[in-house]
Amino acid sequence: MTEFVILVTAGLANGSLYALVALGLVLIYKAQDMVQFGFGEIFMAGAFIGYSAYAYLGLSYPASFLLAILAGGLVGLLIERGLIRPIAHFPHMTLVMVTVGLSFMLKGIFRIPFAQDVYTIPPMFGGSPIIIFDLIFASQNLLTTATSLVLTLGLLLLFAFTDLGKQMRATAENMFGAQYSGINIGLVFATTWGLASVMGAAAGILSAPITALFPDMGTRILIRGFAAAVLGGFGSVPGAIVGGYLIGVIETLFGFYVATALIDLSAFLVIMVVLIFWPRGLFGTKEITRV
Amino acid sequence: MEIHRLFTNRLFTPALFVALCLVSTATNPYLQYLLNLILVYVVVAVGQMIILGFAGQFAFANAAFMGIGAYTVALLGSHFGISYWVSLPAAGVLCAIVGCIVGLPALRLRRVYLGLMTMGFAELCYWLFLHWRDLTLGTDGVKVEAPTFFGIRLDTDDAAFFVIVIATFAMVLLAKAILASRYGRAFIAIRENELVARCNGINVPLYKTLAFTLSGFYAGIGGGLFALAVRFVAPDTFNLLQVVLHFAIVMVGGVGTLSGALLGALFLTMLPEVLRGTQAAQEMMYGVLLVGVIVFMPKGVAGYLIERRILPPEVLVHGWREEVRERDGIPQADAKPSTAE
Repeated sequence: MTEFVILVTAGLANGSLYALVALGLVLIYKAQDMVQFGFGEIFMAGAFIGYSAYAYLGLSYPASFLLAILAGGLVGLLIERGLIRPIAHFPHMTLVMVTVGLSFMLKGIFRIPFAQDVYTIPPMFGGSPIIIFDLIFASQNLLTTATSLVLTLGLLLLFAFTDLGKQMRATAENMFGAQYSGINIGLVFATTWGLASVMGAAAGILSAPITALFPDMGTRILIRGFAAAVLGGFGSVPGAIVGGYLIGVIETLFGFYVATALIDLSAFLVIMVVLIFWPRGLFGTKEITRV
Repeated sequence: MEIHRLFTNRLFTPALFVALCLVSTATNPYLQYLLNLILVYVVVAVGQMIILGFAGQFAFANAAFMGIGAYTVALLGSHFGISYWVSLPAAGVLCAIVGCIVGLPALRLRRVYLGLMTMGFAELCYWLFLHWRDLTLGTDGVKVEAPTFFGIRLDTDDAAFFVIVIATFAMVLLAKAILASRYGRAFIAIRENELVARCNGINVPLYKTLAFTLSGFYAGIGGGLFALAVRFVAPDTFNLLQVVLHFAIVMVGGVGTLSGALLGALFLTMLPEVLRGTQAAQEMMYGVLLVGVIVFMPKGVAGYLIERRILPPEVLVHGWREEVRERDGIPQADAKPSTAE
């Protein structure tokens, strides 16, 4: 039983990272109906920017974290403004292709300084794990889960209570309608990409102390985030969060109880089974066909 | 004489075939290998073009079918000593069946869901190639036996070229015939609007399954030819990057054009060979070129060339039939109703 609880908490920590990435993907999908294939590289960029701030500038971990998410958000903003907006009227499949090219570019850019080695940041708390009754929690896992929960909650509050959040929801609902009501949809798109990239970069820097950093690290997390978003029903914000935690837990349990080699595959197995029975994910809404 | 008439000339295909054979006599081993690989990717690209470019289904399982095809040929040859001439069609048929089976649950899925489901299948197959060591020998890979043709061992790239070029021409001509028939038109109708297709009496699930089967067949034959061209099959060839490559070939070539499959395969097979420098520099240039081509030619290379009347217009080009009609002086359907159509 203890073992099970420990596995679940570790799974939740991983899952909170997947949830952040899935949230980022869903935000962009809701705004522009497209999948951002370069999102794994935003994650990678966040991790490396945080690493640089920590190792080369000598900043503390919280300061590196802040710098990484701000820089990540800025990268997302620039991509939207510089690359996506001029071609936003292209078919969605074409936009997806552009983000695939973008992912190669970003990988190349970060490979120039970081090609030689695999990098790590020491854990934020070097000290002993926290013990409650006889359950042992790795403090880094708790930090990861807590930070990602705070970010997620912040995003949900932004959606629910701020004008910008309402404008973003309106734009997702009906872009032209929003535009006619005087909403600056350019600003909304830029904010969406910025916020989404903040989520991705945050996941990157949060994962830095628990995984190795290398330029190709984004692919694995992109797949997990994508799986989490689809599991929750692509386009549903709560679905993405739940999906992320579910994938994290299932993956950890599969890896421990079934076979370690299955860790990378388990997310897909779950998704394939879920999609056979719920073709729109767990929280997806039925598409309305208009003639 | 307009350039695009050249391509519709009935002598064009035989002339291209002869030209390719002549070129192959003048190549060094490296160029011969590259030429073989381009031809193999043409077949693979046609497979992905059928499902994604014509039927409009976001299916990315073709890398897996290609892997199954390549492994079928390699393993039948090395384990059972079965001749390449039997195992190549077997690979095609097996992948057609697998494609059909994958297509069945996919009938209920749309867009991103279908994309993830098929990508999951590709990842599952990659995992099996990697971990089912008893069958696939895992990361060690499988060496492909050279086929024999009436006692002559076809174990060089020059010899393999003739098998590949004949198979590629046959497959492309077959695809051209199928896509120009009622099947191809049904695929396009489903891509443009599923509901309208259904109202016009098209059995949507049937034709979608057909598209999956056909696409699997092409990927399987492509994989079998790939095994012949590289003579060594290893799991890492069929990972996510292969999935992305197939998608890129279709998008760069031009969605919904057969010539796009050919041009996309040509460019994206040559691109990594042309790019020189460190891995970082290669990746950056690769990314910049992909983005650049799409930004400046959103309809792909083939779409761009068709618009400039360098390539002949194809039966139905994605979403811009009216432009072609207008340019060619054919009146709009709604402007002048015609009973002939």
